[in-house]
Amino acid sequence: MSARIGVYVCECGPNIPDRIDIDRVLEEISPLKDVAVAKRYRLLCSNDGKKYLADEIRSEKLTHLVVAACSPRDHEKTFMKVCLEAGLNPFLFQMVNIREQCAWIFSEKSEATRMAVKYIRAGISRVTLHEPLLQKEIKATPDVLVVGGGIAGVETALSLAGQKRRVYLVERSDALGGTAARLGRLLPHQGTDMRLIQEKIEHAENNENISVFKGCEVEDIRGFLGNFEVSLKRSGGEPPPEMFRVGAVVVATGFALWDAFDPDVTGYGKIDDVVTSLEFEAMSASGKILKKNGSPPRSVALIHCVGRKEKGYCSKVCCLYSLKFAHQLKDSQPAPDVFEFYSDLCLPEKTDQDVFEEAKKRGVRFLRADDIRVEGRNGKIRIAYRDGSAEEAVEVEMAVLAPAMVPAPDSDRLARMLNIPLDETGFFKEAHSMLDPVSAPISGIYIAGCASGPKSIPESVVQAQAASGKILSVLMLGKTLEPEVKVSTIKEELCTGCQTCLNVCFYGAISFDAFRGVSVVNEAICRGCGSCVGSCPSGAISSKQFTYQQLFKEVMEALR
Amino acid sequence: MTQEFKPNLVGYLCNWCSYAGADLAGATKLEIKPTLSVVRVMCSSRVNSNLVLTALAWGADGVLIAGCHPGDCHYEQGNYYARRRFALLKKILESLDLEADRIQLSWISAAEGKRYADIVNDFAEKISRRGPSPLRNHSKI
Ligand SMILES: Cc1cc2nc3c(=O)[nH]c(=O)nc-3n(C[C@H](O)[C@H](O)[C@H](O)COP(=O)(O)OP(=O)(O)OC[C@H]3O[C@@H](n4cnc5c(N)ncnc54)[C@H](O)[C@@H]3O)c2cc1C
Ligand code: SF4
Ligand code: SF4
Ligand code: FES
Repeated sequence: MSARIGVYVCECGPNIPDRIDIDRVLEEISPLKDVAVAKRYRLLCSNDGKKYLADEIRSEKLTHLVVAACSPRDHEKTFMKVCLEAGLNPFLFQMVNIREQCAWIFSEKSEATRMAVKYIRAGISRVTLHEPLLQKEIKATPDVLVVGGGIAGVETALSLAGQKRRVYLVERSDALGGTAARLGRLLPHQGTDMRLIQEKIEHAENNENISVFKGCEVEDIRGFLGNFEVSLKRSGGEPPPEMFRVGAVVVATGFALWDAFDPDVTGYGKIDDVVTSLEFEAMSASGKILKKNGSPPRSVALIHCVGRKEKGYCSKVCCLYSLKFAHQLKDSQPAPDVFEFYSDLCLPEKTDQDVFEEAKKRGVRFLRADDIRVEGRNGKIRIAYRDGSAEEAVEVEMAVLAPAMVPAPDSDRLARMLNIPLDETGFFKEAHSMLDPVSAPISGIYIAGCASGPKSIPESVVQAQAASGKILSVLMLGKTLEPEVKVSTIKEELCTGCQTCLNVCFYGAISFDAFRGVSVVNEAICRGCGSCVGSCPSGAISSKQFTYQQLFKEVMEALR
Repeated sequence: MTQEFKPNLVGYLCNWCSYAGADLAGATKLEIKPTLSVVRVMCSSRVNSNLVLTALAWGADGVLIAGCHPGDCHYEQGNYYARRRFALLKKILESLDLEADRIQLSWISAAEGKRYADIVNDFAEKISRRGPSPLRNHSKI
């Protein structure tokens, strides 16, 4: 059967005929090969217009449709729907933009008319090359995998778990809660009730829609939004506990403390009673802030910013928890002398300044220091510091280091497995740090809490709730997902197996079939950007609706 | 034959930014010279030397590639690929003495209707001054 193309020029009220001689256009278009009908209509996107178009498709037995009207960004979807209703595959349709990019920008009517003819001819010659495509629907699993059971992971699990949605919460260590559960105290304005965090953890443990896997890690994961297959392994190396399917993944792997500091500079590991902030929290949680010899310290140095220079970023919460330590020390009887060695103070929240002023009132000494060296001297700790030129020193009985927060160990392995990037600091990279801060660049993968960089507990909780919100709106119960249709495909006969495309695809949609020696696109992941098409040296890849032939037809008409 | 030379230009515009910018130029009724035919692609990274050289070989006097500003590509990194590919193509054209300034890569966001109009008009003006492409009469479609 030969093609019967219907070409419909929309007047869009006065918008188009004011600037384009539509009758002239129709005169030029009508005689073209395969054009069965070429007509004009007042307003095709109106209800009457859509009905008219559907009737025309049927009565004229059209095999292809070209609509010359506004921008495809306005009404391509509208007319695709009309095609579908009229029984024409919606991909055998081409929209030609003669309003925004023709009628409205060219001042001379004759020129605008000439350009409109060009564009419509291009539409006609490409549309016969269109392939009828099928909008697939995939059944999505509403279940979610949360990697990391810190406060961010626990909050995510609690926000998502529901009657028809299971959450798999995978925690590498043998307890939920992460660092938040190991703190001795909260920041001054966060209250004193440590049970709040413990209660969250218990709720997660007892929720029948949450499967908690402690002492486990993700062994492998593959798939795409709506359909990931996950297998777990036990950290100890015992047989893998389970395999399951989820629709989305939340990375909530948190942070670790930097530990590569120089013992000759910090004294850590060499001098008694030099401890890290987390060791201090552990003492505080046990209720005993004591020196190694069992007596309470009569003076304490709190050293901020350990590793900030080396790491190149501020860890955001260290100033505050060091202030928390200062207050806590001042609460004890008798109160020790407390020195805060800082290089810059980071007090971002509305309540933080008060905490700082209060600490000063309680006699905490704030000493600005660029360079600090911790030395052992006659059983005491000597802090030699420099602000500007002169070196000064203070002697104390205990020193607490606030090391930089760094990504959780093995984040790179998880990133590789999930096919998502880390940023320069090694934390997980957001899809957009400003506008999409809880999404990874790949659909279906989200990031919450310190996994994307240092944060406080409330900030981590906000992110957990935001990621949950995103997931709830994408993986709606009972709804199917419509993957991209205009995907790329690789012609096996032309592919040399060079794997250039594999490295170019940002979404990891291409894999290499070693047996056949060719690359293959996973259509469920492909977004149809065409990067791979542009990169393939053999011209083996083609993206649907944007094939070389189709684009060449447009170029040919442009240059006719 | 004193008629002013009107160049024939091809513009590959990415769907998400530059094509939208071109639409905005229209919606705000900016005047553009009728010299450039737009070919929509999903991302500037789709445009490679094959597409550009074919247009030149078929007689285009100039080819414009436009995509989202660096960092704004809808597909994250596409325009970085486009930029590298463009630099390479430019070098190749230069080394073949093929008037490399007949190809241009520009970043145009969806909000930059004015910028789109200016870029197209300036490009048209520049190519008008340069005259017809030397390839024009060598090849026939
Ligand atoms: C000394 C100190 C004191 C602090 N005090 C306060 C305070 O008073 N108030 C406040 O608001 N904030 C405080 N913070 C910050 C607070 O600890 C963090 O905001 C919070 O812990 C972040 O939670 P998270 O879930 O993102 O990460 P984490 O607490 O780090 O939890 C991540 C969890 O993921 C697990 N995990 C990591 N990788 C994997 C993997 N690959 N597979 C499975 N599991 C994995 C880890 O074992 C961990 O349990 C303090 C931080 C420090 C260092
Ligand atoms: S770039 Fe082309 S030839 Fe190379 S592996 Fe990919 S499809 Fe095959
Ligand atoms: S079109 Fe884009 S998303 Fe699809 S396989 Fe190619 S590079 Fe990947
Ligand atoms: S989508 Fe505009 S450059 Fe990639």
